[in-house]
Amino acid sequence: MKTRLNLYLSIITGKLVRGGLKRLGKTATALPGNIALRIEPDLLKILRKRCKKVVLITGTNGKTTTNNLICHIIRGDTEKLLSNLRGANMPQGITSSFIENYRDEYDWGIFEVDEGSFRKIAEDLRPEYIVVTNFFRDQLDRYGEIESTVSMVEDAIKPLDTTLILNADDPLVSQFEQLKKNNIFYGVGKNKFSTETKTVVESQFCPLCSGYIDYEYFNYGQLGSYHCKTCGFENPDYDYYLTNIDYHNQYSFDVMGKEIVRDVRFKYGGTYNLYNVCAAFAFCLEAGMDPEEVLRRVESFDYKLGRMEEFNFHDKVVKVVLVKNPIGLTEVVNTIYHDEREKSILFILNDNPADGRDVSWIWDARMDEVNQIEGLKTVQCSGRRAEDIATRLKYDNLPVSLIKVDDNIKASIEQAVNQSDVEIVYILPTYTAVFQTRDILLKIQERNQKWN
Amino acid sequence: MELNIYHMYPEVLNLYGDMGNILCIKRRCEWRGIKASIKNFSVNSKTHDLKDGDIFFIGGGSDRGQNIVCSHFTKYTEEFKEIIEDQGVVLAICGGYQFLGEKYVDSDGKEVPGLGIFNYSTLNGEGRLIGNIIIENQIGITPKTIVGFENHGGRTYSDYKPLGLVKAGYGNNEHDMKEGIVYKNCIGTYLHGPLLPKNPHLADYLILKALEKKYGIKNLKELDDTLEYSAHEKVVEMYSK
Repeated sequence: MKTRLNLYLSIITGKLVRGGLKRLGKTATALPGNIALRIEPDLLKILRKRCKKVVLITGTNGKTTTNNLICHIIRGDTEKLLSNLRGANMPQGITSSFIENYRDEYDWGIFEVDEGSFRKIAEDLRPEYIVVTNFFRDQLDRYGEIESTVSMVEDAIKPLDTTLILNADDPLVSQFEQLKKNNIFYGVGKNKFSTETKTVVESQFCPLCSGYIDYEYFNYGQLGSYHCKTCGFENPDYDYYLTNIDYHNQYSFDVMGKEIVRDVRFKYGGTYNLYNVCAAFAFCLEAGMDPEEVLRRVESFDYKLGRMEEFNFHDKVVKVVLVKNPIGLTEVVNTIYHDEREKSILFILNDNPADGRDVSWIWDARMDEVNQIEGLKTVQCSGRRAEDIATRLKYDNLPVSLIKVDDNIKASIEQAVNQSDVEIVYILPTYTAVFQTRDILLKIQERNQKWN
Repeated sequence: MELNIYHMYPEVLNLYGDMGNILCIKRRCEWRGIKASIKNFSVNSKTHDLKDGDIFFIGGGSDRGQNIVCSHFTKYTEEFKEIIEDQGVVLAICGGYQFLGEKYVDSDGKEVPGLGIFNYSTLNGEGRLIGNIIIENQIGITPKTIVGFENHGGRTYSDYKPLGLVKAGYGNNEHDMKEGIVYKNCIGTYLHGPLLPKNPHLADYLILKALEKKYGIKNLKELDDTLEYSAHEKVVEMYSK
């Protein structure tokens, strides 16, 4: 009886906090859950009992996109699902989504989970499926070293009876094969965008035996084809992979697996999105969804979160892409390099705690083609550490005459939107600047409409 | 003119933007018409002769990475010692800095031997020392300040001349206000960020020392460092106590 009372009390209090925050115009992605968890510490276990099935998505990059993609697909089948779509991926974020979308029963609980919170959340939620995307260095001052992040997740998976959906192309992820769970491997395979040039590689040494790893090609960071000369550790066979990959303002490819799905179109660029889509296909087909339905839903996917979002203005498109670690930044710059339009870039680099206070990561990104991007008119640098990113670009031989530094974010965005000689503006904010960027762009759009 | 820059074990000692230091030296040489050849010294390469190196860079790595390197580097200790005694230019950061000392004592009291080129030791302490750091340099370069970011669990205790005195942040051990060491043309420090791009005066100090040793050159062509110093000043403004 007391437990029931605690549950209701925690949900009601959470809802009140949420209502209050909303009235103040604040986001309510974590605080309601935080307070509710203090009243009912077992809230996650209670949530578990109400979900028929649970899938967790973890790894460094692609959690939020993969989560949103999977939810969008599953929503074609059922509305009764619970997810933390906005990327609040610690226990308080997940319970906040429970408070917001409170029901007695869900067909699916679909959550992205921060690597640091993975143990606690996996223990309470006992997921039927776990998707592991990749491991890259990210906000080192939070977790120490990448090896310890990997073993935190590994140790948490050990006691679970679960199906692992693993990225076969990342040696740090595919090593989880050793855990002898039900393993499903997905990957992208060699394609016309693969490269033999080493960019940012997290694991030059074998995670199993510390031997030297040979890479045949790379798709994204260390994701590619690997082979350990000492113990023979290499990419496992794919259960799902993409082939016939092409890109003309959108991706087209075939998905090979238990079922073959041909001629898929996906509008978001970047090799990382190929991996996200492949993970979503692998999971959804394993979960028994109809391949044609999955295809339709993937093609209708629209991202509205500022992490990867387009804003239309009368003379240009403004594309906002969150950058938060070296691999992500490398890939975004690479994507811009392949965009033939007249363009400008606005980097917004903050060093608030949620961004990582240490901005040295920008030097781990590889951006040496930045000075060869065609049709690049200006590069603006803004945010608390605007000068750091500007210096970074100078050392990749980007002409200083192209670089404009203004640490005022609002003024920089206004200037970017008003620049007349470009068709597209890429805004690349770090985490704490994403929502601010989105708000400013929406206000400018609104103001423009009033005037027209 | 040409400088050979040895990047020691870049595949494992590469935390915290270490590549930025190499890139900084390379560009600042190139912008002055000096050829800079980067040579990667790695566990996997077959033959080595460190003697043709003009600037050596050793970065920090994960514990696992440092263990992989340790046994390999030990074979070159004597050669490296001679290079340092002979005015070779060395910049060792974080793990690389600890590594040049006698030993590292971890949290269980276990001793991990270093190369023993210098007689300082590093002890593991409670909690990591993390944050922006500003020091006042002791090597006579202008501006007085050197800025960076530190992130280390070890506390280093040394009697060598420090690279700088701590104005904001922790430094070698959070107690004696010293940061880093300087011995001849060898600098050890906990500052990354990375260190050199935001401290072009220090980058030029290293380049000049190397040119002086190799060619007897006494001064460098000036570069426009407005951008670099605006990044430097920003750290001083935001993070001075």
